[in-house]
Amino acid sequence: MAGLASAFGSGAMTNSIEEIDNARVLFVIGSNTTEQHPMIAMHMLDAVDKGATLIVADPRKTQVAGFAQIHLRQKSGTDVALLNGIMNVIIDEGLVDISFVKRRTENFDDLEKIVRAYSPDVAEKITGVPADEIKRVARIYATEKRSMLFYSMGITQHITGVDNVRSCANLVMLTAHIGQPMTGLNPLRGQNNVQGACDMGALPDVYSGYQRVSDPKARRKIGNAWGRKLPARPGLTMIDMFDAALSGGLKAMYIMGENPVISDPDSSHLIEAIKKLDFLVVQDIFMSDTAELADVVLPAVTFAEKDGTFTNTERRVQKIRRVIRPMFGAMPDWKIISEVSKKMGYDMGYRAPHEIMEEVALLTPSYGGILHHRLDNFGIQWPCPDTSHAGTPFLHRKKFAKGLGTFNPVDFAPPAENTDAEYPFILTTGRMYFRYHTGTMCRRTSTLEREEPECFIEINPKDAGRLGVRTRNRVRVLSRRGEIVVNVLVTDRTPEGIVFIPFHFRDAAVNLITNPAVDPIAKIPEFKVCAVRIVPLIPKPGERQKSLYNRKEDIKILLELYEEPKV
Amino acid sequence: MKGHFVLNRAHLSYWLRQLRKDADLIGPLRSTDGDIIFSSIENIHDIELDCPASIPSPKEFIFPQKEEMFRFSDKGVSSKSNGERRVIFGVRSCDISAIALLDRFYGELYEDSFYMDRRRNTVFISIACNTPDPTCFCIGLGTGPFLKSGFDIQLTDLGNRYLVQAGSGEGLKIIRRFRHLFQKPEKTDFDDQYEAMLSSQSGFEKRITLETVRQKIITAKVEDSFWESVALRCFQCGGCVYECPLCTCFNVVDWKEDKDKGVRMRLWDTCMFKGFTKMAGNVLPAEKQIMRTKRWYFHKLLYYPEQFGKFGCVGCGRCTITCPGRIDMAAVANKLD
Repeated sequence: MAGLASAFGSGAMTNSIEEIDNARVLFVIGSNTTEQHPMIAMHMLDAVDKGATLIVADPRKTQVAGFAQIHLRQKSGTDVALLNGIMNVIIDEGLVDISFVKRRTENFDDLEKIVRAYSPDVAEKITGVPADEIKRVARIYATEKRSMLFYSMGITQHITGVDNVRSCANLVMLTAHIGQPMTGLNPLRGQNNVQGACDMGALPDVYSGYQRVSDPKARRKIGNAWGRKLPARPGLTMIDMFDAALSGGLKAMYIMGENPVISDPDSSHLIEAIKKLDFLVVQDIFMSDTAELADVVLPAVTFAEKDGTFTNTERRVQKIRRVIRPMFGAMPDWKIISEVSKKMGYDMGYRAPHEIMEEVALLTPSYGGILHHRLDNFGIQWPCPDTSHAGTPFLHRKKFAKGLGTFNPVDFAPPAENTDAEYPFILTTGRMYFRYHTGTMCRRTSTLEREEPECFIEINPKDAGRLGVRTRNRVRVLSRRGEIVVNVLVTDRTPEGIVFIPFHFRDAAVNLITNPAVDPIAKIPEFKVCAVRIVPLIPKPGERQKSLYNRKEDIKILLELYEEPKV
Repeated sequence: MKGHFVLNRAHLSYWLRQLRKDADLIGPLRSTDGDIIFSSIENIHDIELDCPASIPSPKEFIFPQKEEMFRFSDKGVSSKSNGERRVIFGVRSCDISAIALLDRFYGELYEDSFYMDRRRNTVFISIACNTPDPTCFCIGLGTGPFLKSGFDIQLTDLGNRYLVQAGSGEGLKIIRRFRHLFQKPEKTDFDDQYEAMLSSQSGFEKRITLETVRQKIITAKVEDSFWESVALRCFQCGGCVYECPLCTCFNVVDWKEDKDKGVRMRLWDTCMFKGFTKMAGNVLPAEKQIMRTKRWYFHKLLYYPEQFGKFGCVGCGRCTITCPGRIDMAAVANKLD
């Protein structure tokens, strides 16, 4: 978000999903698209079938990389060097779109100065990607007019997350791949409504539609509508909040639809912080690990039990409709919040979600024309300033949201934690198909639970040989912060020196060991790189491995159930 | 001709309303987003007669996605019957062909009481397809667009009237009960039906006979590299299996509701998941995607014909609509043809 905003003035997918079909080059960096965004991957494969060139940059050999003409396997955390290397070739070989750079952007000279230092050979040394490959990618990406760039968590979950995004933005501006259909810089948001949550100002420093808290005009406008004076200081990010809780500066917390105990790095530190709070409220659809620590748990309804809108990754605001009555006395989130607010002395007075949408439209320029009754036909893509506007399929046409696009040149900075003799492997984390986040929802589904019941670590065959472990052996994975025990999965999906653990499992929560170092601006933690050591746990002959999966409780209950009835 | 009648178009809703009096009437509806779904009919005029294939297929009414087998508690076991009478209206010919095969699957070798209880209490009124979808290929498989047998009642839309054919005793019964609505057909009605059939047949975009594919597979002309290329594009969504009107796999799970009671459920399952055949010790006999892809296609193209003399595919095109990797039955057949 922050990286995109400083370059273009707004943060979202610049183009539309539909356009992918007819693109000529798809450059996917740090995204396991087939597993995590299958519907977008479907369009990518359609484009590949039509002859588009697919370039994937990912250390892991993901399914989507199987369709790529070029697969760059850069070392985790070296994306800036890779992108700078590509830009170096583009500048060097005269592939820059000079007229675009002159008319629409600023600060090119600074970029050139920095990028000059990253010749393909230098980039090769840092990233491990052959210089020739870097040159090839640069030429293909720059010379084709319809080139789309995609990125996801592989770019953002680093201490250099904002830098990575800025580099991507630099690349698209350098080649004028923006402001036209079938181009653009496209962050893929994995959740149905994470874009919507950001749009509505669920960030510490902005109100809805990215109106800055620091802007007195926006503050006054929204304050007037709510009849209250709003604080001028931005709030804390999530990571800062837990730090503040730990140091006693923060006393109470209200968590909605999140399970940070599993999903955030260095979770033992986080649990300690939560325990220090005087008061914790958790609002979720199911009991979660975080909710177990709460003083009050407020049951919310699922998607099927409520009306409202979701905004997807291509900025499309879509209507959702209630299909079943709320169960077990749960309430929609908006209602819970209004009720809590009423008890606290401020009556929001909403009676239905469409009334809230009206207020959103009134106070948010980019949502100005987005009202429930206009959304019936597949929704509207913001910005949509008024009710006669049909929505915007691609952004930054003729002019960037902030006027001129700004090149923000960045130097390569290594990840916060490097490998050494004691911790020789880079651990990268991610997701897998059959799991969704921390499993608050998906672990309740027997079929999904059956597919991957236990956590695993992907190890390259060569590393596995050196460690003397085989698939389904158990290993201890230790970092400077803690350790977990997981099963081995030997696969060449993961390159030598890098291991991968999905973060979904509570029995082996990888975030006990990940690095809580954060990006200085976006405060996103470095989930993708940390240094670990692997110690095999080979059972002695005749000894059986214990299951990681805790069935004891279940079996106890079953035994009670099947007890012979007394006659 | 025996078992043939004519129903005035204006009388259709009256007839359906009468049928609804002693049975649950189910038919195709268009949701606000344009999807076609089968659902209980509140208002007869909501029924969509000219619409693409429903997603999912109407098999969910006789083989539900989630079905309670019995409840158990410390007091014993109890089960409820599935004997509610139902009339399912507006089903396509391909789905009727699929249900005819499901009847054999669940009733021939052994009798699945959960399926058969529902099936015995359900009457299907199908409509021959005058305008096939671009994804349809039933014509090459003989499972549509017009059926000669296997249906309870088949309607053919002839503009201002329907030609009504009774194909089973149950079907004939619900026509006879409202005999005053039905006339004897004239020769022109049959001529018009024939005309409609010809025009429907010419409307198919896909001409696929799975026989050539079967021959190629059994004569070992299809190499593993082909199946590898298919498997590579599988996203493991399971959509092909869940939407297929002929896929019959289910899993049985116990769901505990409380400390001392629970429900045994059966749920749709899919052989496209590696855990489907998981064995003790976490052994996965079909760990690689190619094994599972082959298993699905071989079951439909080889084992079904061996067991029942018919393909395990009726050409409804739902996997074509659903598959994000574009490796559905029609695509595979096209590549191998």
